[in-house]
Amino acid sequence: MTQTDMTKLDKIFNNNPQSPGSLITVLQDIQREFRYLPREALEKTAEILNVPLSKVYSASTFYAVFSLKPRGEKIVRVCKGTACHIKGADIILEQLESGLGIKAGETTKDLKYTIELVNCVGACALAPVMLVNEKYYGNVRCDRVMKLVEKD
Amino acid sequence: MVNITINGKVVRATEGEMLLDVIRREGINIPTLCQHDALEPAGNCRLCMVEITRTEWDGWKKYVTSCLYPVEEGLIVSTHTSELHEIRKTILDLLLANSPHSDVLQKMAEEYGLHKTSYEPNLEGDNCIMCYACTRICEVLGKSAISPVMRGHEKVIAPPFGEEPPDCIGCLACAHICPTNVITWTDENLTRTIWKKKFELIACEKCGKATISRDFAEYLIEKRGLPKEYFNTCDDCKRVELAQKMGALVDKAKEVAL
Repeated sequence: MTQTDMTKLDKIFNNNPQSPGSLITVLQDIQREFRYLPREALEKTAEILNVPLSKVYSASTFYAVFSLKPRGEKIVRVCKGTACHIKGADIILEQLESGLGIKAGETTKDLKYTIELVNCVGACALAPVMLVNEKYYGNVRCDRVMKLVEKD
Repeated sequence: MVNITINGKVVRATEGEMLLDVIRREGINIPTLCQHDALEPAGNCRLCMVEITRTEWDGWKKYVTSCLYPVEEGLIVSTHTSELHEIRKTILDLLLANSPHSDVLQKMAEEYGLHKTSYEPNLEGDNCIMCYACTRICEVLGKSAISPVMRGHEKVIAPPFGEEPPDCIGCLACAHICPTNVITWTDENLTRTIWKKKFELIACEKCGKATISRDFAEYLIEKRGLPKEYFNTCDDCKRVELAQKMGALVDKAKEVAL
């Protein structure tokens, strides 16, 4: 971790009560800042919050929102819920995978894109649904997939 | 004190005591896997399930894990009904499906007339039943070196990052408490290996036999305030030493008496 990363980390620790109860919020803040949970950050978290490292690691691997691997600037999530599945989520995923040259769960080498699968985003009426970071796209057409991903 | 009825017999128990402890005190045998006196009850293995009811419940009854159920006045408990037999059998059946090679589970299942699982056995499954006895005892010892990792069917008990656990002191508590003996270790000469981590074992000053790991000894000395020399000799040599000391005292007493 660089010095600036350490400063960012210190800021996160200072914004939260430094007790075991802050574990999840601290992990969320770290994930927001770095887009994943760097190992050094987890070790530091254990030390600062006075939580055993095994418990920090346990929580980090338990929740699907946390990632221990670096992720891209744009996280593209494809909904694999029942409605989206019926409406062709597979085809959207295929388009994405061939367009970005990575498989679901992977990140491009330039750290620009990550593809993730989600079980349901709760917008079944808009199926098939795809998310680019926090933005939702409904009724996605397979020929538009890459355009939506590359937009802004 | 409260009065409860277990299998028709009125039994006195202390309020707040767990049902399982009372049942066992009465000499009734209930199978368990995750229960250990050194641990807080967790209700993970579900085998200690019993049937409870009360007179005012009007025939209504429910099944609870007795290890987690505090006794209360007027409780009517049954420990060995045919329904409970089926419940325990099903639990063992499911456990056996996931750990078909476990001799401990096989033996328990036999007692319920189950020779092999009726479900599709997971032939690659290890013997871990996720009872967390190992992680709980590690926490009790103040170390928490291992923990559950991942979730659902991917879950395993492992050290952080799958590497040598930095907090482990090689005490073997996890391996000894494991009801299905999944956690393995090796002691070779004066080196112990557990969770891929190597530990130096202390050799007894008198007989040379390997005793406990140096890290564990240092931890106990620090935590329990034991004298530093305490772990220089093994338990057997300590016993011999004590016997000799006692013998000398007896001789002395005889001398004085004469």
